[in-house]
Amino acid sequence: MNAAVTPPAAPVSLKLANIVQDYPAPGGSGTNRVVEDVSLAYEGPGINMLLGPSGCGKSTLLRMMGGVRPNEVPTPTTGLIEIDGKRCDGAHEDVVTVFQRYANRPDLSVFENVAMPFRFKLWRERVDRAEATKRVRETIAAVGLSDKERMLPAQLSGGQNQRVALARALVLQPRILLMDEPFAALDAQTRGDMQELLVGLFTRQPCLVVFVTHDVTEAMVLGDRVTVLSSQPGRIADDFRIDAARPRSELWLRSTEGVAMQQRILTQLHQSAGHGRVAVSV
Amino acid sequence: MSDRDTLWNPYSPLGARERRMLGVGAVLFVLAAWAVVSATELVGPNRLPAPWSVAHALIVLAWDGEQQRSLLLTATAWSLMRVLCAGLLVIAIGLPIGVLMGAAPRINAALSPLIDPFRSAPVVALLPILVMWLGIGEWMKIVFLFIGAVVYLIPMVRDAMQAVPQAYWVSARDIGATPWECIRQSVLPIAMPRIFDGVIVAVSVMWTYITVAEYINAQEGLGQLIQNARRFSAMDQVFAGIIVIMALALISYQLMRYARQRMYPWETAQ
Repeated sequence: MNAAVTPPAAPVSLKLANIVQDYPAPGGSGTNRVVEDVSLAYEGPGINMLLGPSGCGKSTLLRMMGGVRPNEVPTPTTGLIEIDGKRCDGAHEDVVTVFQRYANRPDLSVFENVAMPFRFKLWRERVDRAEATKRVRETIAAVGLSDKERMLPAQLSGGQNQRVALARALVLQPRILLMDEPFAALDAQTRGDMQELLVGLFTRQPCLVVFVTHDVTEAMVLGDRVTVLSSQPGRIADDFRIDAARPRSELWLRSTEGVAMQQRILTQLHQSAGHGRVAVSV
Repeated sequence: MSDRDTLWNPYSPLGARERRMLGVGAVLFVLAAWAVVSATELVGPNRLPAPWSVAHALIVLAWDGEQQRSLLLTATAWSLMRVLCAGLLVIAIGLPIGVLMGAAPRINAALSPLIDPFRSAPVVALLPILVMWLGIGEWMKIVFLFIGAVVYLIPMVRDAMQAVPQAYWVSARDIGATPWECIRQSVLPIAMPRIFDGVIVAVSVMWTYITVAEYINAQEGLGQLIQNARRFSAMDQVFAGIIVIMALALISYQLMRYARQRMYPWETAQ
């Protein structure tokens, strides 16, 4: 079978060192500390979950890794981000993000939306037309939308739209894939399908995934590694590996190991000072 | 459900047939009331010409058998040309300015105090100034229409750009677009339907200003036609001229609405 994304040739690493982030306090003077001294090191392919309640700074951390600064506040305030051992501030072409808001252009077809990056000079220069078209076709097939290539986003469901956004990221064959609560707005059934799809895509073309979620179950179903963040300001409360093979069944979630892990995560979340909400959907 | 429930419900669906009947009915009612007022001479013909006089005036203006010409057609052609010229100018100049203002908050901050006040200012008061600067020729009329409309278009284009959710910009930036590529490929295409709305408003504004534009030294045009009729106290012709301008404005509005639907079918589907 044709792989839409070739396995990464070089090993990849992503490192965050002593990250602190302050944002200007709303309505005037002073600052709010959102992230307090977070250090994380990711090495090689794997699905790494960043789990925490709303407002714990997990999305802020993800934005830093992606080099996206939507509000032009300098990020991080202090600390260092390294990709492959090289200091990185600003957008990096090896890193692509999938957002909760899939942002598909309503006037373009599924095919054109997935091919969007090749309209930009950066990718036009790197990937020739024929290769781009081939990649787009294959990636659309990989996310299961081959029969909908000509459709407009308004004709698709929320889950299908998120598949388009995922394909638009994967078509660039990123070595690092960031996911910012991509399935949070979907219904439970669709969310399950999307998690399954992601595991399938990852198995075929492993890369370094950092996946932000507030859903404990999602973290347990997907993660090779789960980092639990406390909130306000965000600190690392817990960090552990899950070795169970994917796909992880309902049965595994209800096993002694699964229940114990869930208990461990919930205890950490409740101990942390924050008052944000955490979803458990077992 | 009682009738009251469907009457006072902003969301209750209305069939095309019922909507048309209500619209036509209201127009007919006003015409009938007008006819009654004229027939009973409740208001004299000097103040309010009878509907049949206006209809007659329309026919005479449309085809003058003695002189073998149509005053109305020539006047309409001239007014249409002026609106068209000014409209092209408005789009060619107003659109890029609005896009720049919508794309860069600094440009917006600098230009909006220069442009926004004109929306509430009496643009008509500019006419004497324009006459002093540009004389009483064709340029003065077109520039007047241009100013009157462009001050509406520019803020609407800017607002259309700013209304595009930031998610589009962020996601395009993330996959390596330069800021201008984001604007060109993400923000602008999504803002287009609302920008088109701005053009529709601009054209409507020009139709309301056309009589003023043709107030001074126009040899031809609907405004001149009305002006001329007023001088000879031909109230029926004044009314006929106004009706023609309203009809033209309505037709161009409907045409542009149709074009918008054809050009951006995805917008209503969202």
